[in-house]
Amino acid sequence: MSLLQIAKLSGGYGDVDIITGIDMHVGAKEIVTIAGTNGAGKSTLIKAAMGILPRIAGTMVFDGIDLMKLQIEDRVRIGISYVPQVRNVFGTLTVLENLQVVEHAPGKSARIRDMFDLFPALAGRRGTYAENLSGGERQQLAFARALMSSPRLILLDEPSAALSPALTDQVFEEVKRLPQADVAVLMVEQRARQALAFSDRGYILDAGRIVLSDTGASLLANEEMGDVYIGRGQSQAAMPHAPSTHV
Amino acid sequence: MDWISIANAVINGVVIGMLLALPALAITLVFGIARFPNAATGDYMTLGAYTTIASQMFLGGSIVVAVLGAMTMTAAISLLMYFWVFRALAERSHVSRLIASIGVAFAVRSTITFFAGQDQYVVDLPLVRAWNFGGIRILPTDLYIVGAALIALLLVFCVMYLTPTGRRMRAIADSPELAAASGIRARRVMIFLWAVAGAFCGLGGALLGIKAVVLPELGWELLMPMFAGVILGGIGSPVGAVLGIVTFSIAQEVASLFVGPAYKVVLAFLILLCVLLLRPQGMFGRPIAAR
Repeated sequence: MSLLQIAKLSGGYGDVDIITGIDMHVGAKEIVTIAGTNGAGKSTLIKAAMGILPRIAGTMVFDGIDLMKLQIEDRVRIGISYVPQVRNVFGTLTVLENLQVVEHAPGKSARIRDMFDLFPALAGRRGTYAENLSGGERQQLAFARALMSSPRLILLDEPSAALSPALTDQVFEEVKRLPQADVAVLMVEQRARQALAFSDRGYILDAGRIVLSDTGASLLANEEMGDVYIGRGQSQAAMPHAPSTHV
Repeated sequence: MDWISIANAVINGVVIGMLLALPALAITLVFGIARFPNAATGDYMTLGAYTTIASQMFLGGSIVVAVLGAMTMTAAISLLMYFWVFRALAERSHVSRLIASIGVAFAVRSTITFFAGQDQYVVDLPLVRAWNFGGIRILPTDLYIVGAALIALLLVFCVMYLTPTGRRMRAIADSPELAAASGIRARRVMIFLWAVAGAFCGLGGALLGIKAVVLPELGWELLMPMFAGVILGGIGSPVGAVLGIVTFSIAQEVASLFVGPAYKVVLAFLILLCVLLLRPQGMFGRPIAAR
């Protein structure tokens, strides 16, 4: 049974639908990547799943619970976490406060210790204001903040945005570790080729509609789709051990 | 101009600044968390001053009880207006909420005028002689005012920086969307915010009533200097709001020595203009960068 089941989901801002007729699912401990061209509606889809999109229609069920009736705060309570693309930490709060402020985290002190064990770089900077952290440390804090409530599904909006290739590798390593902690991942990622390489499944979004879904490996093997939606040349160049071919 | 006059003006500016720091802090908290400039702040102060006087007139009792009554009354009205007006407009633009707050300000002032008329009132306190240190005069009442304001400010800063409620307030001020995604319920924080903002305006009004003659326009006329002080300190910065309004008040009082009381506001605004030209984000504000 799927952890998250989305059917006929449409929505957007104002009167304009950004996403239309989305059918998708995420299983427990699964990593699912949403790829597509710029403006395809990838981030909008993630926001819809978190309940941030102002207008949505369709059905969304998380572990048997109807998400359409829940506020954002209640989605956190039932086990969904969200890491936005930008402003993913509270810059005016310290590292420690960023973790303390999360609700629905039973045994908060112990959970904070767990987070510092998981992300040791943050432990030494617990009194530092988050706005003074480096890009990599910020992303680690964003993950730690999202994991504080012991979620079963984490929604990641472009976790590698604005990060160097080295930091991107580091962040992706952290994403790969999440299923080991019983956390499923639904991720939007511009570096789709790199993300699909370790994803169980993927969806390709174009103009707000899903045009293809398959396993991560199969999507990578689909040359025609890859050229159009995954950005083969650019992505391969970004891969650490990719052959240096350019289109 | 001799230095003793300047020193007295500075002391007076500090006292006025400290009592105005309470509503200024309310302005900056509401601006940071509810995200609009609350134009009713001045009239909540007026309500606090009138409640202090009414409490003394009809209930007797000590000034402390009267001031606590004023804080309770303004907190209650502030919460009522939140539930009645501002909560319904939460999703509307900040301009809509600003205009609504001007409406609330008129409603509060008109209600006060309806019951109290345009007569002048004073808070009933025994007259005390100022201490004189070689020409530098300090009123014991002013020390009480500064002490009360300092205790209140310290309390709210402790709440903001040492308690879970304060963390939630700062998180919402930082990013409402991320706060919701962290499970923080904004409504509970809003109730606390409006109660604190109201209580601070009430305390500020009661202390102002001790220092000045109470009229229905008392707080409204102070609104622009309070906004100016908040801007000078840096919008959204609680520490900046306090230091900004104290600086602005000192500037006004010192300016009055040179240009007379009629033009002191003009000179203080000129100083504000100069500071903002050099540092547009204010003394403690963060520069706003485009992503």
